[in-house]
Amino acid sequence: MSDWSKVTRPIPVPNEWTKPFWEAAKRRVLALQRCQACKHFQHPPYATCVRCMAIDLAFEPVSGKGAIYAYTIMYHAGDRRFAAAIPYASIIVELDDAPGALLAANLLEAPYTEAKVGRRVEVVFEPLNDDITLPQFRPARDTE
Amino acid sequence: MWEHRCKVAISGVGFSKVTRSAEIPLAAHALEAVKGAVDDSGLALSDIDGLATYPELPATGHAMIDGVTVVSVNCMMAMLKLPNLAWHVQVETVNIGGAVQQAVNALLAGVCKYAVVWRAMHNPKGTYQNLPGTYAQGAAQFTAPYGFGGPGQGMAVAYTRWLERHNQSREKMATLAVTQRRHSHKNPHAYFCGQPLTREDYLNSRMVAYPFCLYDCDIPVQGAVAIVLTTADRARHLRPRPAYIAGYGQRLAFEVAGRIGSLSSYMDGGRSSSRLTWERSGFSPKDVDVAQIYDGFSASVIYGLESYGFCKEGEALDFIQDGRMELDGELPLNTFGGSLGTGRIHGLWHIIEGALQASGRAGERQVEDVNVSFVGASAPIVQGTTFIFVREPY
Repeated sequence: MSDWSKVTRPIPVPNEWTKPFWEAAKRRVLALQRCQACKHFQHPPYATCVRCMAIDLAFEPVSGKGAIYAYTIMYHAGDRRFAAAIPYASIIVELDDAPGALLAANLLEAPYTEAKVGRRVEVVFEPLNDDITLPQFRPARDTE
Repeated sequence: MWEHRCKVAISGVGFSKVTRSAEIPLAAHALEAVKGAVDDSGLALSDIDGLATYPELPATGHAMIDGVTVVSVNCMMAMLKLPNLAWHVQVETVNIGGAVQQAVNALLAGVCKYAVVWRAMHNPKGTYQNLPGTYAQGAAQFTAPYGFGGPGQGMAVAYTRWLERHNQSREKMATLAVTQRRHSHKNPHAYFCGQPLTREDYLNSRMVAYPFCLYDCDIPVQGAVAIVLTTADRARHLRPRPAYIAGYGQRLAFEVAGRIGSLSSYMDGGRSSSRLTWERSGFSPKDVDVAQIYDGFSASVIYGLESYGFCKEGEALDFIQDGRMELDGELPLNTFGGSLGTGRIHGLWHIIEGALQASGRAGERQVEDVNVSFVGASAPIVQGTTFIFVREPY
């Protein structure tokens, strides 16, 4: 299992579009931007709905359950802050509630060899400091 | 079909010395390549009246210093002091292929007569990708905290999806790496010319970002390449046989910044660009005699072969087996060694090879009886452009 204890992650800086995402994460809620006109979820947040061009967008909670859409196993310590965790799985998750909205994460609480396309995962939250909590994913625990 | 097909051609081509990392300012490489292309055409610098480039620095987190880490149009103007300069442009929404296409348009519009396009690539000493520091701003706030840094990882995630959805194995990619390396031995300008690579080397090499091992990644280098473009009527009176541009296209879709890993976005980019190129030229994949497909990371060739229509989705790694991509194969591919063989100079070298193959000037690596020469340039496919060059105007 990758050892994340010695990794110092870059800290996200919320902006006008992304603030509600990080505020929700701090409350351990995964919330994504949703078009109020066509009900399409999208991520990363954007100025307009990328499906119907509406500008009426709001953040709504999602279940946090989904599947690994794609992944890579990092062996190269290009960023030395991540060297202690190598090899580690960087994954892309597609949520059940939000098809097409792809979230980057690491696969936590499992060996990196557990990363496979289609594997069921669920959200967990990793506080980085008092302000920022990072949504992460681990293999799904409930039987589905 | 495009009414302007075969009205513009690539004439001369030029290369700088390619070194592993920066030893002299990048401007010196660009100058060497540009002068080489102008000489190859038998022209003088005073004949050049158009300039275009894409002055991007793929080594993220390093300072953009004109003449040192990038070579802009302004830099080239200052160096050359062209007495007859009439037109210039820098592109941004597509890679270097977009600069070539803008030069074609300028020549068709009659606002210049002889345009030069160059691509100069910097490799800083030390770390190539400087990732965000303590804080991750903008699109990086959703990627950098998870250790997503360079473009390699962005390409790698799409590759795992491709491999596992299509039940394919990465070991088959050894054929691409080994064959392209062999092609590069017939290209004296290539960084890896003369350095052998075996199937075992590929299969035993260290993993960088699974599924990419070391030999799936082009090596960052410092160097430049350049071309002279002119109208077909003028090109016929110059020294080299012209490579006529029968059609081109560019990707017509783009993902929101920070959305990574979507295999479909690579495929949409490639499909939209090639569709324009097939329609404009009147050709289809089965007419193609030789192909250059961008290979900054090996999987880019898969997305290219499939989205351009050379094979079905999920079949690209089988398609390249059994000698098909050899110089005498059914579809000779990346005949100059590709970026995996030359080093990371982006897509202009693919465009140059496409032109050289069409005009019969590829020397030892010339494919026999080439008329239709296809190029999928630019990195990655989402920034893609495509071209067809022909030997005989029609």
